[in-house]
Amino acid sequence: MPPQTNVPLPPGYQLDEYRIERQLSLGGFSIVYLAFDKEDTPVAIKEYLPNSLALRSEGDALPSIAEENVATFRYGMKCFFEEGRALAKISHPNVVRVLNFFRANETVYMVMHYERGRTLQEHIQKHRGEIRESFIRAIFARLLNGLREVHTHKLLHLDIKPSNIYLRNDGQPVLIDFGAARQTLSTDTPLLKPMYTPGFAAPEQYNNARRELLGPWTDIYSVGASMYACMAAAAPQAADQRVERDQLAPAVKRWPEKYSRQMLETVDWCMRLNYLERPQSVFALQKALADKDRSVPRITFLGGLRKRVKSLIK
Amino acid sequence: MKFTIYQESRPGKRPTNEDRIAYSYSRDALLMVVADGMGGHLHGEVAAQIAVQFITESFQREAHPQLKDPFLFLSAALTNAHHAILDYAADRLLPEAPRTTCVACIVQDSIAYWAHAGDSRLYALRGGRIIAQTRDHSRVQRMVEDGLITAEAAIHHPARNRIFSCLGGGNAPQIDFSKKTPLMTGDVILLCSDGVWGPLPADVIPRALSTGNVVQATPALLNQAEARGGDNADNLSMIAIRWEDNYAEDTLGSVSTKTMPVDSFTTQMEAFAKARKGAQPLPNLSDEDIERAIQEINSAIRKFSK
Ligand SMILES: Nc1ncnc2c1ncn2[C@@H]1O[C@H](COP(=O)(O)OP(=O)(O)OP(=O)(O)O)[C@@H](O)[C@H]1O
Ligand SMILES: [Mg+2]
Repeated sequence: MPPQTNVPLPPGYQLDEYRIERQLSLGGFSIVYLAFDKEDTPVAIKEYLPNSLALRSEGDALPSIAEENVATFRYGMKCFFEEGRALAKISHPNVVRVLNFFRANETVYMVMHYERGRTLQEHIQKHRGEIRESFIRAIFARLLNGLREVHTHKLLHLDIKPSNIYLRNDGQPVLIDFGAARQTLSTDTPLLKPMYTPGFAAPEQYNNARRELLGPWTDIYSVGASMYACMAAAAPQAADQRVERDQLAPAVKRWPEKYSRQMLETVDWCMRLNYLERPQSVFALQKALADKDRSVPRITFLGGLRKRVKSLIK
Repeated sequence: MKFTIYQESRPGKRPTNEDRIAYSYSRDALLMVVADGMGGHLHGEVAAQIAVQFITESFQREAHPQLKDPFLFLSAALTNAHHAILDYAADRLLPEAPRTTCVACIVQDSIAYWAHAGDSRLYALRGGRIIAQTRDHSRVQRMVEDGLITAEAAIHHPARNRIFSCLGGGNAPQIDFSKKTPLMTGDVILLCSDGVWGPLPADVIPRALSTGNVVQATPALLNQAEARGGDNADNLSMIAIRWEDNYAEDTLGSVSTKTMPVDSFTTQMEAFAKARKGAQPLPNLSDEDIERAIQEINSAIRKFSK
């Protein structure tokens, strides 16, 4: 039987102490399953299986890995561990909880608390252009509680976007997919190249040499871009392109009829290209989201700004 | 390795040609690809171009001079081409990723391997008979195969152009693979877009190629399909080889790769970009490293859970 692409483990498969129920998603880097533990509690299990390196055929549990790919496969595992390491330290209602980590089938698995609901991305698709301000304020205010916790642990998420924000059925948002660590590790290995969506990454993320410029403001850019996407029902222009030629219509100009001026200014504030002009902490942004009457600071650094921002990227 | 090859692509009666085709061969392996960019979706021809180019580049990186595992190669190449199209769309903020069908075939050691997504087809022919063929990812075509509707009814079916698998677009492609198909002298392998097979009655293609003269039969088939396609004839593309094997006599225009150096390639494709350079060697992660990382993470989980 020739290999199929990305064949998930079959329903009923006994994986360590878990029983696979079904596949939840299939990414370029991993497969996520719904499974049940010994007590029949549902869990989400993420399987490390980059399809450019390892392929599982129908009926097999072990993926086949071409010999020349073994080193890259193992290297990518390191990146997968980064996600586990980041999540292990955080226990917060708005951050997905990791429960266990184990090795099987020549690869590794991360067990997470299973959340019922859908991603913000799916929500946006379903309610194209009719997402209300009160919804955006409520969701992001809560999400930022989780992000604050992440930042308190001196961690950055670096891949906040609507498809990595999960909306629980009880209305609580949960930050998932801390897989961004691999973006930094794997830039020189094309086979592990992450398939991330531009439009949500901050300009300073495009320059590997300037990692020291990353900070809370970097995740805040992505939060702003995600709020912008709620309004536009599409991803905003990618930051690296904005630096070349900024064609992103400010939220204030685009939706003056639909959302309050303060809300729109808050989004634009988060999406400033110069990181110094954005909210510098999650707390500052939370204040703006919580209080409609609070005016949004308008900071502009004049003189050579464009050049400076460009040098961030190049 | 010895074969005769012919490829041709025409716009039909359409203003643009969204089909892309290519072949490439090393001393010991041959690749053929047909991609039919989907109109109605933005940048159909871009998706087709990315797919063909990506797969050809991968082939040139990996066939030195043979592929280690042709199926694995096809699987990775088509999947990665799919992602390359998504990346392209994301980079340019396209509202939806462009789409393309794709059928790709490898021949090495006189064995053919192929994979496809969509309704571009591959036929393996022997003595004027079809010995193997791809199954379109089209519900209408499946209904014909299952005897639920006639071939005639399918031609006019409103959903005849709808396919459920392609590269690009919002869903992960379903990629189907052939069996390993050993080739005999005189066997013909033909890849084509639906602009070719669509307008033609089922028996025309195998009959036209029964002589094995691909150089004559290919343009003749395209003429016929284009004529039958009428005022609205779709883009038409086809690549056909006649496998000569070692025993065959020297046919005019046939290719013998025996004298090629191991690391050289011959490729026919429009606007072909240079292959990228390979990856750096990576630090190794031993079994102990893995065990240690897992233990660390699990103890952190226990320490921080409340
Ligand atoms: N804990 C969870 N509970 C329920 N569903 C989940 C959970 N984790 C992930 N999912 C589902 O799986 C999908 C993919 O998860 P995630 O974003 O972590 O991985 P990914 O983006 O596919 O992976 P990668 O980028 O690592 O290839 C999510 O969009 C969600 O639908
Ligand atoms: Mg994700």
